Amino acid sequence: MGPNGGGKSTLARLSNGLLHADSGRVRVAGLDPAREPYLVRRRVGILFQNPDSGLVAPFVEDDVAFGLENLGAPREEMRERVAEAIRAVGLSGYERREPHTLSGGEKQRVALAGLLAVGPEVLVLDEPTSMLDAAGRREVLERVHALRGNRTVLHLTHHLEEVLDADRVLVLNAGRLVADVAPEWLVSDATLLRENRLVLPTVSRLALGLGLPPAKPRTPEELAAAVGERAERRVGRR
Amino acid sequence: MKIELEDVRHVYAAGTTFEVAALRGVSLAVEPGEVLAVVGGTGSGKTTLVRHLNLLLEPTSGRVLVDGEDARVLRRSELRGRIGLVFQSPEEALFAPNVFEDVAFGPRRMGVGEEEVEKRVQDTLQRLGVAHLADRSPFALSGGEKRRVAIAGVLAMHPEVLVLDEPTAGLDPATRGELLDVVCGVRDEGGTVVIVSHDLDEVAEVADRVCVLECGEVRAFGRAADVFYAEPRYAPATVRTAALVARDYPGVGRPVSFRETLAALRGVLGRETT
Ligand SMILES: Nc1ncnc2c1ncn2[C@@H]1O[C@H](COP(=O)(O)OP(=O)(O)OP(=O)(O)O)[C@@H](O)[C@H]1O
Ligand SMILES: [Mg+2]
Repeated sequence: MGPNGGGKSTLARLSNGLLHADSGRVRVAGLDPAREPYLVRRRVGILFQNPDSGLVAPFVEDDVAFGLENLGAPREEMRERVAEAIRAVGLSGYERREPHTLSGGEKQRVALAGLLAVGPEVLVLDEPTSMLDAAGRREVLERVHALRGNRTVLHLTHHLEEVLDADRVLVLNAGRLVADVAPEWLVSDATLLRENRLVLPTVSRLALGLGLPPAKPRTPEELAAAVGERAERRVGRR
Repeated sequence: MKIELEDVRHVYAAGTTFEVAALRGVSLAVEPGEVLAVVGGTGSGKTTLVRHLNLLLEPTSGRVLVDGEDARVLRRSELRGRIGLVFQSPEEALFAPNVFEDVAFGPRRMGVGEEEVEKRVQDTLQRLGVAHLADRSPFALSGGEKRRVAIAGVLAMHPEVLVLDEPTAGLDPATRGELLDVVCGVRDEGGTVVIVSHDLDEVAEVADRVCVLECGEVRAFGRAADVFYAEPRYAPATVRTAALVARDYPGVGRPVSFRETLAALRGVLGRETT
């Protein structure tokens, strides 16, 4: 996480050799991505922030297959994995559409499907939900959570509610790593949040304003329940 | 300026196997001086809808009226100047050697005199908090900076209606807040704003009225509170919380913005909690 211009996307590009560090070392599974980008890119897949920049093929299905083709996957297997990935992002029926005719959110889903089809060891997701509505955002997050345990996910985002389940949160600001903490820690540190232009989710801010612990209720349902309990206790006391 | 859509249909790739009916008979009016939010799922037709407001896209059938007159009789250049449209991911359209030139492009093309152009560019850059970037190349800016420059380019044309297609996607929360302040500023000065957004929490802070699109049709349209309390699927966290609390404590009312909601919930808990 971290403010615009903080260095998140630069970090993502360093991780697979698209950018080279001026000094210092980058190692991915012991490999230097600047020297062996192709070996590294077999293990690290990136979903770029702007979905337009990544879509290259004439049809959606070719685009989703692109990464697999580069890996030399057998035809039959490829076809299955592509179909499965397209289904996973809710775009069945879009196989023969031309990517440039898609809406912003549809393009973002196509790019994600391409990455899911490959299923690399490390997934770097640069704001994968920036163009999605609430339902689409939830679906993508569920996909990401399902990878937990057998894949590494580096999730770059501006939405605090999306990192509440992360193992660790790194905060980058003006090119410096300013925090490496558990999400509960981050949401309860008002100074850290303010200094890094982070804002708590609406539910947390309401909780805080009502004197409830901000990390506790995460959904409107939980917040409403907490308010109800409090109000009842008050009535009971009378 | 009042803009009306009259039973507008828009079909992409008509007659091919990929025919998409993106708008299926949309009628609505954008009233002068309001902030109208357009919300809806991926591919529901939001971008298609707002591109009709200045006839960047033409209806397959139906009409667009500007102050009661068919928009097709107006000159396109005039229409585009009076109704300023900021694209989804507008930073892709930046092109000039420096920020100043980029923002100056629109007003110059409208025939505004050079002295006035200079003043407008400086004012809008100031307003968006990027005056210090005037001499920089637009390509070497951060995402948030590019977005502001792109918006400045449209604002510098002094449009009567400002149309923003997902202006805050990908921005950090603080920058997002600043941009929403700009939106409110435009409205406070009597301007009209149409904003497409999938962030319902931000819509709750700025919108007077809300239009919900579903599969190219208007599912709901009206004052923000009326739409949100009638359509829980499209309600922001504030409204969803208040609606649940209202089941046992109807006194909470129908708050929409964060401030209203916090005050209403405090009311339920009694004054002792602050
Ligand atoms: N040039 C085009 N050719 C064919 N179909 C298109 C074209 N542009 C958009 N569409 C289709 O029209 C429908 C509406 O698209 P639109 O871009 O208006 O959606 P949207 O509501 O803005 O979505 P998002 O939230 O993802 O930006 C989608 O199904 C999309 O695939
Ligand atoms: Mg759109």
